Amino acid sequence: MAKTIFLVDDSATILLSISSILQKAGFETEKASNAEEALKKFNGGVKADLLITDLNMPGMNGIELIKEMRKLSAYKFMPILFLTTESQQSRKAEAKAAGASGWIVKPATAEVLLNTVRLVLH
Amino acid sequence: MSDLNDELVLTYIQESRDQLAELEAGMLMLEEDPADRANLDAIFRAAHTIKGGAGVIECGFIEQFTHHLENLLDQLRGGLLSVTPALASELLRAADHIAALLDLLETGAEQLPEALAAGDAELVRALESHLDSGNDTAGAGAVTPGMGSPDAFESTGGGVVASDGWHISVRFGRDLMRTGNDPLSFIRYLTTLGEVVALETITDALPAADEMDPEACYLGFEVHLRSGASKADIEQVFDFVRDDCSLHILAPRSKIAEYLDLINELPEDTMRLGEMLVRCGALTSAELDAGLEAQRMLEADGEERPPIGEILVAHQAVRPELVEAAAVRQQHVQEKKQQEARLIKVRADKLDQLIDLVGELVIAGASAQLLADRARVPDLKEATSEVSRLVEDIRDSALQLRMVQIGETFSRFNRVVRDVSRELGKTITLQVTGGETELDKSVVERIGDPLMHLIRNAIDHGIEPASERVAAGKPEAGSVGLNAYHDSGSIVIEVSDDGGGLPIERIRERALERGLITSGDALSDKELANLIFEPGFSTKAQVTNLSGRGVGMDVVRRNISALRGEVEVHSEPGMGSRFTIRLPLTLAIIDGFLTGVGSASYVIPLDTVVECIELGQSGQTRDYLNLRGEVLPTIDLRHNFELPGDPPARRSVVVVSNGRAKVGVVVDRLHGEFQTVIKPLGNLFKHLRGISGSTILGSGDVALILDVPALVSTVTRNESAQLVRQ
Repeated sequence: MAKTIFLVDDSATILLSISSILQKAGFETEKASNAEEALKKFNGGVKADLLITDLNMPGMNGIELIKEMRKLSAYKFMPILFLTTESQQSRKAEAKAAGASGWIVKPATAEVLLNTVRLVLH
Repeated sequence: MSDLNDELVLTYIQESRDQLAELEAGMLMLEEDPADRANLDAIFRAAHTIKGGAGVIECGFIEQFTHHLENLLDQLRGGLLSVTPALASELLRAADHIAALLDLLETGAEQLPEALAAGDAELVRALESHLDSGNDTAGAGAVTPGMGSPDAFESTGGGVVASDGWHISVRFGRDLMRTGNDPLSFIRYLTTLGEVVALETITDALPAADEMDPEACYLGFEVHLRSGASKADIEQVFDFVRDDCSLHILAPRSKIAEYLDLINELPEDTMRLGEMLVRCGALTSAELDAGLEAQRMLEADGEERPPIGEILVAHQAVRPELVEAAAVRQQHVQEKKQQEARLIKVRADKLDQLIDLVGELVIAGASAQLLADRARVPDLKEATSEVSRLVEDIRDSALQLRMVQIGETFSRFNRVVRDVSRELGKTITLQVTGGETELDKSVVERIGDPLMHLIRNAIDHGIEPASERVAAGKPEAGSVGLNAYHDSGSIVIEVSDDGGGLPIERIRERALERGLITSGDALSDKELANLIFEPGFSTKAQVTNLSGRGVGMDVVRRNISALRGEVEVHSEPGMGSRFTIRLPLTLAIIDGFLTGVGSASYVIPLDTVVECIELGQSGQTRDYLNLRGEVLPTIDLRHNFELPGDPPARRSVVVVSNGRAKVGVVVDRLHGEFQTVIKPLGNLFKHLRGISGSTILGSGDVALILDVPALVSTVTRNESAQLVRQ
């Protein structure tokens, strides 16, 4: 059965490009354009096998979202990947401490994205 | 199928056909050079891309087949298999099969038709049969601890694993699962890099049940992975948890040799030990950073700073033999740098100036010697002969400064042979001998172009296509030889090939066509063969971009003549040809043998002189004499240079040799050994045959230097022409 990946990013372009790569590779996707919307959907019991979130978003940021997610018992052990850039190395540790499983460095090729997703979803 | 899917499938077919072309080209190259790592990687990548794409468009039959191919390629890449001719042809069949599958996909089929399915299964079996034994679980999905054939597992307790592969030892951090990671997911992901041949779950850290935190991870794994991946690739898998776990990746034994080679191939720059290990791939940057950090900590604790190599070995980051090799290499580079510092670079023109001065000194010395001889004062004579001896030593040392080994010029041609033969689709090896032979730097510089031409010519015209070679019972791979040696005061450079030899009949036809000979000319095969050096001569029907434009060989001869050398070719039908270039050792100063004819003086280069004999009184009918039962052609300089006056009653013959033939030079007087500086002849006299230069005698008179090789060939040609006419 196809796995579902939940994407959170305030950029519509990034949401679209990542979701189209994932869909082509046979994954189902769910999308939210900010952390609050995502949290609302998760609280509503949306089914997902992996969460990929941006760190810098207006309103609640990605790190806060990760912390909130780990408080929800249903998603306590769900893999969470965050999107980061080469220049944001310092935030990696912060996000990991918040409970993230791993990261994807932007801009990522489809191959890197899929490999990373497959690693955590195996 | 939706439109998007159609488009995706078309894109996939297009892309895969491109990849397939690369795959095929790579497989062909593989036969030539099975060890070409970059090529193996490219082939693997192409197969991998085809397989990956098939997965995306959900084309099961292509994905399954390419999966088997990929397994095999991975083993080749990992050095577990070697390329045999049978394997190479099966790989090519596999490529053909993928092409057929792509055609099928294009028609919209979702299942294999029976005929193709049978071929598919047969090919898969053929590919599998090559796989390393005990390896048929390759890529069989997730690996669960405790699964697999029992003998494939080895206890890691002893620390030594018998079969060759990567050894990965990992102890996860307690918080692993709390970050949403699954310990097994890493191990499963490793199977995409290769085959997990053995796996042991380490549960030592597991506390008693009542103390256990169910959300914490207490596990560790010892994994034995067979893979062609690099150390960095493997480390990458654990990137997310690298900071929180203890990870050791030890290279397989087969990899060690590769690392050792890489260490020795590192550029000769001063490098730190850790840097060298990272450069060759034996160590990852993260491991080095951890090692350096540990080194700093120990130092901060007031301990003596241990060498980084020791720390890395203690951390199980690298094997001790690699640290050893890197240290040796480091020392070697340092020593080499120091040695280089002991060399002095000198401008070539300063050297030339010195040689000129030494030349003048030689002439002045000869003059002093002459005066001393005339003065008949024994002490003076002794003193000047001592000076002469020293001048001779200075001359030799000065000339030695300009001598370089020809090896460097030769080794340049390895690349040329490789590139040109590949371009022409021939398999050719270059055999170099005599690279240590020394000759004048200016000669070395100017011999490169003619040699290049001869070598290209040997590859293009000399070596036959593989099919012809096999039919003639010769090894498929052709061989081109480069050889150099000293002989009779010349340096000889040979370019030989084991090809078909020169087509003598076609050369005769072409020479007639071009008016180089007439149908009445009776020429030996050897003379015909040497016609290829005539201007505007080329017999190759098909003009390639390498040679065959008919400007080559005459230019070669002209270049070599300009160095006072000569070139000739020997050809044996079906056995190959050999071009022989003969060059004077040096262009500046020689030891000469001074002779006189009438009032003129002639210098014969001493190293061409074999012996001197007295000319008998017997009336000569032709230009030859009997030298101990041997026919010796002679040349009378008085006659040859049309000198006036009558010859004296007693005359001498200087027997000279060009290394192959001997000729007697008839002169009036012998004056003996004489050091001489060659002054080139002016442009006006360039065309003179038999004279290679002039020199100034101690008395101030001018003497001409005989060009012995030219004289010998003139004489032998005249003689044989006369014999043929009779």
